[in-house]
Amino acid sequence: MTTTTRAPTTVAIETQGLTKRFGDRIAVDHADLHIPGGTVSGFIGPNGAGKTTTMRMLLGLIRPTHGRGSVLGEPLSSPERYMSRVGAMIEGPAFYGTLSGHANLVVLARLAQLPLQRVDEVLERVALTDRGRDQYQAYSHGMKQRLGIAAALLPRPELLVLDEPINGLDPAGIGELRKLLRSLRDDGATVFVSSHLLPELEQICDHVVMIQLGRLMYQGSVEQLVAARHTEVWARPERPEDTARLVAALQAEGRRPRADGPWVCVVADDDFAGELYRVSVREGIPLVHLSTRRQTLEQAFLSMTGDVSGDADQSAASGDGARPAASGDGAQPAARGDGSQPVPSREATTSSGNGEVSQPASIGDVTPPSGNDDVPEPSASGDDTMGSGR
Amino acid sequence: MIPAAFRSEWVKLRRPSLLLSLYGAIAGVAILITILTFALAGHHFRGGGGGRRAAVTLAQLAQPDALGKAFSDFASLLGIISLAVAGAQMASEYSVGTLRNLLIRQPRRLVLWTGKFIAVLTFSALAVLLACIVGTITAVVMAHVRGVSTSAWTSSTGLTDSLKAFGEVTLAVCGYTTLGMVVGNLLRSPGAAIAVGLVYILPFELILSATVNGSDRWLPGQLLSAVSAGGTSDISLHTAIIRAMAYMVVLAGGTAVLFVRRDVTA
Repeated sequence: MTTTTRAPTTVAIETQGLTKRFGDRIAVDHADLHIPGGTVSGFIGPNGAGKTTTMRMLLGLIRPTHGRGSVLGEPLSSPERYMSRVGAMIEGPAFYGTLSGHANLVVLARLAQLPLQRVDEVLERVALTDRGRDQYQAYSHGMKQRLGIAAALLPRPELLVLDEPINGLDPAGIGELRKLLRSLRDDGATVFVSSHLLPELEQICDHVVMIQLGRLMYQGSVEQLVAARHTEVWARPERPEDTARLVAALQAEGRRPRADGPWVCVVADDDFAGELYRVSVREGIPLVHLSTRRQTLEQAFLSMTGDVSGDADQSAASGDGARPAASGDGAQPAARGDGSQPVPSREATTSSGNGEVSQPASIGDVTPPSGNDDVPEPSASGDDTMGSGR
Repeated sequence: MIPAAFRSEWVKLRRPSLLLSLYGAIAGVAILITILTFALAGHHFRGGGGGRRAAVTLAQLAQPDALGKAFSDFASLLGIISLAVAGAQMASEYSVGTLRNLLIRQPRRLVLWTGKFIAVLTFSALAVLLACIVGTITAVVMAHVRGVSTSAWTSSTGLTDSLKAFGEVTLAVCGYTTLGMVVGNLLRSPGAAIAVGLVYILPFELILSATVNGSDRWLPGQLLSAVSAGGTSDISLHTAIIRAMAYMVVLAGGTAVLFVRRDVTA
């Protein structure tokens, strides 16, 4: 397939006070989105947080109750002016079961007046050429997902909006999707992608938007977010009985260590590992392990959301995933000069005066560095494998 | 852009599972009705009042308007099928979620609606054409078998009558199709759209027209029946067409407004 390099749009998506009410509940509440062009931007939040509703508003599928914005420089109120440059898959793939994958894409290509040759190109890109003439209803879940991605790629999008595209893909397919999104970004396109698989998003996203109960909690670079959450320093004494002594010694230094089996963990700055080492030497405690680990996007997210699942939020809030309407609160996150936005008031976080997201009162559950955060590399085979990102 | 939406819709409409099964069924029913008409012609059977009467005589089948009358006999069946297909076709876009894909690729909703509507109307019109062609061929064969002269059918009067009947049936079936698109768009569930559409057209309107004097001159389904029959003793063809068209324009227009303004959350 031929790829064209585009000049990245400065701002791909921008909204002011974007709000959607369904009756007496608010699905999205005064969202001020700012998605830089030419980035892969992750959209994360618990179930029912308002991600899909936001995406639907951006695509012209539902009308905002309040607010305005622009997509690719065109007003949100006129989706016909920008949708020819946007590809999207919302709430999973939806196609006609008795039509082949190829014919399903022909339906969309004809509608958008795209050349039918483009159908073959996108099928090849998602490695569905061999199965393109099979009925959609015979596809595996992963193949359906890939067909949805192929449909989104049809117009050579400058902006790609994907809602949970990783669902159903096997590790190899996820790896290929990762490559595909990066290649699109390298071509100058902007990708706005939601997912529950935060380690995956962390790997592919330059920028992230967090939303909970309809309100934006953070938007900015992933780097800034995780950097603002400090680092975990992990140490393991050679003798398990020294764990308590090390904890006591660190407490005496004014730190707040916690023991986890034979492990000791301290949340601190990056360079605290050296200080911990000096303390252990001074106390005569030999260490067999000393490492630092930055908080992951997932940990940062859980810290900010208070580790509450969206489904629990839903039942607690209004029973259907959205907050009850609160009149006149209208709180909006303030935009920062560097493009990131802290949340003005959250239970689990505080916002410092300079706008940086500060350390929450208590870090979410931490686990020893046993490799459980390692993201497995994709395998070379698998049914639901995407094609190479050409 | 409307032609693009039209061609896109036809990719779906011509899928073998729909096209072959539906057009096959329509052709089969047209053949069956025609064969039975000829086979039973001249035979007497027990009527509702206990007497015996002929369904149709062989002499009547030799008249110039015989084919036209046969076409009219197809109208109710074709109308009901068209209503069900249009309702299911429209509602399933919502229930399956494919409408969001379509709107992403064609955000001008009125364009999409118009293209879909015209495509489904042509699908129904082709079903009428198919039924009439198959019915005519079968009638010619059966006429030969039963010794009925077909010369009057091909006379100027016969051809005019047949074409007129074809036009009336097509118009009526397009009306039923419009009703299907309306209920499909309103209810957004194929099962509900078909059920409500059929219940309205069959028992509801029939009971209402039988119990409320003069109501058949105003009920849309009864008006469409009158159009397909070339007018009735209660209402002229001209009046039936005007009233039925007025209903369809209002219903299709109202549904288009709903389609354009409605949030697509499925």
